[in-house]
Amino acid sequence: MPLELSGLTKTYSKDGSGFKLWPVDLTIETGEFFCLLGPSGCGKTTVLRLIGGFESPSGGKITLNQRDITRLPPHKRNLHTVFQRYALFPHLSIFENVAFSLRLKKLGKNEVQDRVLEALKLVQIEDLKNRQTTQISGGQAQRVALARALVNRPEVLLLDEPLSALDPELRIKMREELKALCKKVGLTFIMVTHDQEEALQLSDRMAVMRDGQCLQVGTPKTIYEDPIDSFVARFIGQVNEITGELVGDAPEVLALQSALGTFKVKKNGHALTKKLNLVLRPEKMRLLRQRSQLQENLIEGSICDLTYLGSRTEYTVKVKDATFKVFEQELERLKKRKLNVGDNVYLTWRTEDAILLNISNS
Amino acid sequence: MNTPLKSSKPIPLTALVFIGWLFLMTFIPFLIILGMSFLERTPLGTISFHLSFNNYLRSFQYIYIKVLLKTVWLALVATLSCLAIGFPVAYYLARSRGWLKQLGLVLLFIPFWTNFILRVYGLVSLLGNHGLINQLLLEWGLIKTPLEILYTRTGVYLGLLYNYLPFLVVPIFSSLEKLDPALREAGFDLGANRIQVFWKVVVPNIKEGVFVGSLFVFIPMLGEYVIPDLLGGAKEAFLGNVMVSQFFVMQDWPFGSAIAGMLSLLLLITLWIQTRWSRIGGFRNGIDNAKS
Repeated sequence: MPLELSGLTKTYSKDGSGFKLWPVDLTIETGEFFCLLGPSGCGKTTVLRLIGGFESPSGGKITLNQRDITRLPPHKRNLHTVFQRYALFPHLSIFENVAFSLRLKKLGKNEVQDRVLEALKLVQIEDLKNRQTTQISGGQAQRVALARALVNRPEVLLLDEPLSALDPELRIKMREELKALCKKVGLTFIMVTHDQEEALQLSDRMAVMRDGQCLQVGTPKTIYEDPIDSFVARFIGQVNEITGELVGDAPEVLALQSALGTFKVKKNGHALTKKLNLVLRPEKMRLLRQRSQLQENLIEGSICDLTYLGSRTEYTVKVKDATFKVFEQELERLKKRKLNVGDNVYLTWRTEDAILLNISNS
Repeated sequence: MNTPLKSSKPIPLTALVFIGWLFLMTFIPFLIILGMSFLERTPLGTISFHLSFNNYLRSFQYIYIKVLLKTVWLALVATLSCLAIGFPVAYYLARSRGWLKQLGLVLLFIPFWTNFILRVYGLVSLLGNHGLINQLLLEWGLIKTPLEILYTRTGVYLGLLYNYLPFLVVPIFSSLEKLDPALREAGFDLGANRIQVFWKVVVPNIKEGVFVGSLFVFIPMLGEYVIPDLLGGAKEAFLGNVMVSQFFVMQDWPFGSAIAGMLSLLLLITLWIQTRWSRIGGFRNGIDNAKS
C-alpha cells in the first residue's frame, strides 16, 4: 500500500516568490520512515503540505494505496500531520486534544475514552491526560501531537520538522523514540527536516532536495557514500573537494589533473563533464609523517589546527590555498605518533574512497 | 490558589507619574462627586452640607430606573450590532495579506483623524431630512418622503455603531492575528469542516479578545451623552444626558452626582462580571497546578 507521487508540481505565482516545485516522482513504501531533507526554501515542506492536502498541486497526482487523493481535503486522505510547533489546541486539555477527531466522528463515550488512553499510552504520557497545554514541556507537547495524530489510525503520518523546537539533548532522545514508534505501529512516517544527522539516523530512505528539485532518493548509506553531485555530498556530512580535469582515457581508472597534483580516480555514472570535483570524506583520509612509496595519492601540507574529541581527532591541514579536514580515529597503532600544529604531513586516501562528481554551484 | 498577587518590587518612577495623574484627575474628582451625592441642594441651587440619602432614594424613582434600563438596553443592542458587523471585518482583515490589510486598517482609523464631536455633527448633516442620504434616495425615486432617521433611535444606533466599531474590531483583530494558523490546519487535518473549525478551534481561542472588544464599546456607551443628545433628540436620552441636565440645567449638583454614582456602580458591576468570567479559565489551571 505505497504512497505514490507522480509528476507532482507546484508553482507559486501569486505571492511573487516565484518558487517552483519541479515535477516530483516518489514512491514511499508502507511502514517506511522516509525523510525529505534539504536547506530552507528547497520545497520539502511544500511536498509535505501537498501530501497533507494543505496546498493543491499545479499538476501531477498523489495516490495512497491506489486511491487518488490529489484533490481530497486533508481529513479525507487518511493521513495526519504533526505540525512543526505541534499546534495543540490551547483551550482544550491534553485528553480533549487527543479526543478532538474522535468527538467530531461522534464516537461513543467509552470508545473515545479507550482510544485516547490507548494513544496516550503509546507515547507514554497517560498520566498527563488532565493537564492543560500550558502545563507540559516541549517533549511532552511533541508526544501529545503524536498521540493526537495517531488516535485516528491514519495510514500515513506526516511530520513537519517535529524535533526542531526541542533542545538538543531531548532531540536526540526523541529521534530514537520516533524511529521505534514508526516500527511499533507499522505506519508510514514521512518527515521533513533540514538536519542531515537526523535524516541519516531516522530514515529508511530519504530524498535530498534543492531549489524545488528532488536531487537524489536512496538509503542513508547510498546518499552518504554515493552522492549524485557535490551539492548532495556537501549537504550530508563534511567533504574536501579538489577541482580538476580528467586526463587520459583508460577504461576503469582515470587520472584527474588539478592544481594540487594528478590523482587516480575511479569512473562512476555521475561524472559526465570534463571539469570535475574529487570529493573526499574527512574520515576516509589519512595523515602520514613521511612520504610513502606505497601510497598512490599524496598531497603535502601542514597542520594548522587540531581538535581532540576523544573518539577521534579532527585535523585541519593547509595545502597551498586550500584547507582539508581529516578525521582520524585514536587507534592504538597511532598512539606513538604525535602530530602538532605546524607539523609537515602528507595527506593520502585510497582511490576507491574518492568520489568523482559533477561540479554543482553553491 | 487564593493568595493575592503580591509584588515586592518598587513601583518605577515612570509609573508613578501616571499613577499620580490618575489619582489627581480621576480618583480625587470621583471622591468629590461621591461625597457630593450625599449632600443636599438648597432652593437657590447651591449645596448645603447636610448628610442625606435623598438623592439616591430619588434616583430609584420609576422615571430614572426606566432611563437606566433603556441605557443598558441600547448599549447592549449597539454592542451586539457592533459585534455582528465588526467580527467579520476583523476576521477578514486578519486573514488578508500585504497591502490589503494595511489599507483596511488605515480605512478603519481614518475617521479618527477628525474630532469626535465633528464626526457626530457630520452624521447629523448626513442623516437629516435634507441630508445627503435622504436627498439622494428622493432623487432616485426610491422613497417618496424623507426617512426619519435623525432624532430617532435608529439615528442613535447608527451614531454608536459608527463611532465605536473600531474599538471592537481592533482587539478581535489582534487576537485573530496571534492565533497560530497551524491551529486551523490542525482542525482541518483532524476532520473538522470550515464551520466546525470556526466554532471549535477559532472561537474558543479568541473569545477573550471578543469579550475585551465588547467591553471596550459597551462601557463607554453606557456613559454616552453626545450621540443621544445630537442624534436622538430629547426622547432618546441616556443616563448621561439626565446627569448632564441635572448639573447644567436644573443646577442640582448633588442629584446629578447621585446619578453619576449609579452609573459608576453599573460600570463596576460590568467589570466584576468580566473579571469573574475571565477567571474561570485561570481558576481551573490553578487547581491543576496544585495537583501536579
